[in-house]
Amino acid sequence: MMLRRIYRCVLRLHPPAFRSRFGDEILSIFDQAKGKLSGFHLLMDGMLSLVRQWTLRPEFWRESVSSPTPQAALDGIPSFYILSPFRPRPTAVVPGLILSIAIFSLTCVAIKYSWIQVLHIRIPEAQFEAPQWIPPNASANGVSNRTTEPVLHDQPATSSVPNAHAQTPEAASHAASNTSTPSAVATKSRKNGAVQPLPIPRSTAQKSKGNEIAPTSPESEQLAAQPLTTTAPSTFAEDTTLDAAARHRVIDGTSAIVTKYYVDAEVAQKMAIALRDHETNGDDNEATDGPTFADLLTSQMRDVSQDKYVAVIYSVVKTSENSPVPTAEEVARYTKDMKQNNCTLEKVAMLPHNIGHLKFNSFPDASICRQTAAAAMATLNHADAIIFDLRDNAGGYANMVALIATYLFDRPTHLNDFYDRSRNSTEESWTLPPVPGNRLADKPAFVLTSSTTFSAAEGFSYDLKMLKRATLVGETTSGRGHMGAPHRIDDHFTILVPSMKVINPISKTNWEGTGVEPDVKVKAADALRTAINLAEGNLQKK
Amino acid sequence: MEDDLHSFLPLSPATLHILLSLAGEDLHGYGIMQEVARQSEGKYKLGPGTLYDNLQKLIQREWVEELGRRAGDDDPRRRYYRLTLAGRRVLEAEIARLAEVVREARARLQIARPSTAKPRRV
Repeated sequence: MMLRRIYRCVLRLHPPAFRSRFGDEILSIFDQAKGKLSGFHLLMDGMLSLVRQWTLRPEFWRESVSSPTPQAALDGIPSFYILSPFRPRPTAVVPGLILSIAIFSLTCVAIKYSWIQVLHIRIPEAQFEAPQWIPPNASANGVSNRTTEPVLHDQPATSSVPNAHAQTPEAASHAASNTSTPSAVATKSRKNGAVQPLPIPRSTAQKSKGNEIAPTSPESEQLAAQPLTTTAPSTFAEDTTLDAAARHRVIDGTSAIVTKYYVDAEVAQKMAIALRDHETNGDDNEATDGPTFADLLTSQMRDVSQDKYVAVIYSVVKTSENSPVPTAEEVARYTKDMKQNNCTLEKVAMLPHNIGHLKFNSFPDASICRQTAAAAMATLNHADAIIFDLRDNAGGYANMVALIATYLFDRPTHLNDFYDRSRNSTEESWTLPPVPGNRLADKPAFVLTSSTTFSAAEGFSYDLKMLKRATLVGETTSGRGHMGAPHRIDDHFTILVPSMKVINPISKTNWEGTGVEPDVKVKAADALRTAINLAEGNLQKK
Repeated sequence: MEDDLHSFLPLSPATLHILLSLAGEDLHGYGIMQEVARQSEGKYKLGPGTLYDNLQKLIQREWVEELGRRAGDDDPRRRYYRLTLAGRRVLEAEIARLAEVVREARARLQIARPSTAKPRRV
């Protein structure tokens, strides 16, 4: 029945002359022959005739259709008739077709670019209204987003509610990214390859670099919620005055945490001393409200440490104790987010010359995304060269770094060490035992980087570079080799402290602050083209 | 006239088969399809779209004429078609040409069982 309906539609698309003359008969044959000829054959025949009629038989188009008055259409179904005698010349069809395709393509391109604009401009505002959740796909392109987003996550009200809390956007953003990154990566490092999902607070993992890894602590939840509550003037009025004693308590708390956790003990000591000196000199006396004071402490510590990821954050709402382990709800949210976003895997493709191209925008938790990653690698298993596109990759879990790197080696390989200052312990990160049937272990590999490639993605690039297992093509990366977590100072002050660092077993250092230098320096936009050329060159030499 | 006819040769397989099927008796569209299938022993399956596309052309060239509907037919939508004199001459010319091809082929390749041109889709 369905087939007949489709067939009738095909018939109706024929030139009117043909349709009115033979339509009935063809349909009658269709009814009779249905059992004997396959439906597919009949349909293909109809299509073929349709094409033939419109392309090869222009001489018949004008025939008949004697009256423009509507007649009973084929099989009782009404159809359209042309009232005007005008018909385009047959030769006009081709330019018309080309023109239509051109306009269609232009429209598509316009939509594509306008959509990116929308993402860049609108998303932060959207977050402002709903700090709890950000559409994950925004993250992928969010190069420019990254710097601003964190601000909005944790401090959405900064701009609109001036007095709510005094974080400068910059401080806040660093704070936010810090928060997330540190502990997240920390966790992963400890459980390389194991399952420790560190849920992402409110931004999706890929979103802002830091957040993705970030363990959501209750504090950060509250920070996020804060702008909403603080908008009522009465809420923050009571908290705005800080006397010397209150400031002293905060400085004490800050010094203690920094001294204990900050990744470099010597620098930590310097920061603690600087805080004390400023207090003694009376530099803090003007800072009588929480936000201003938090900013002041942040800048005092950064002056000494040159570490832009150290930040003190003031929150109007009381913060609760740190929770080291993500809640079930946070884990569930992350899992759902990853499922909806195909584990941030954007592209798996075989390019010409059998070059595999894999673009993913974070290193999601392997415990959730192992199958997706394995399937992607299996798809590219027969490639003669492979390109990992990390230009929009915002980092993530070390267990995924190890999982993907596993495909590039024929034996477990030492990638990295993670040093945790507060525990004074070091965890090693290794690739897993070789995957059976894997053919990529000896194939040329390329990693595409950009100035926004972040955290775990930088780790992946750096490790492969140090092991001379891949050629890095693109721009110098962000330079995030430390990780940290938020620590509660008191009910209103929180500090973000980088407390862990990556130590590469070969270079004995990492890329913190400097970024990872590519082997072939080109603009991020040109990186794929360049890598393809290199890969093709490689393959031809063989 | 003969020259005119020859300018149409060789005929496409669909045209040839349709003309051939109408050479015996007047047929409706479905009858033509069945006859073509019978002639080719089921090897050449003519779909209705292809059939009427060709019929349209043949009618315009006046090789085939439409007879209209027949009273008492099973399906009132059916119309019957007949080979015209011109159509018959074209067919004869084509058959003569094919016979010549076959004769030539036999002589050169000594193939025991030559058949008519292998049907192909137009």
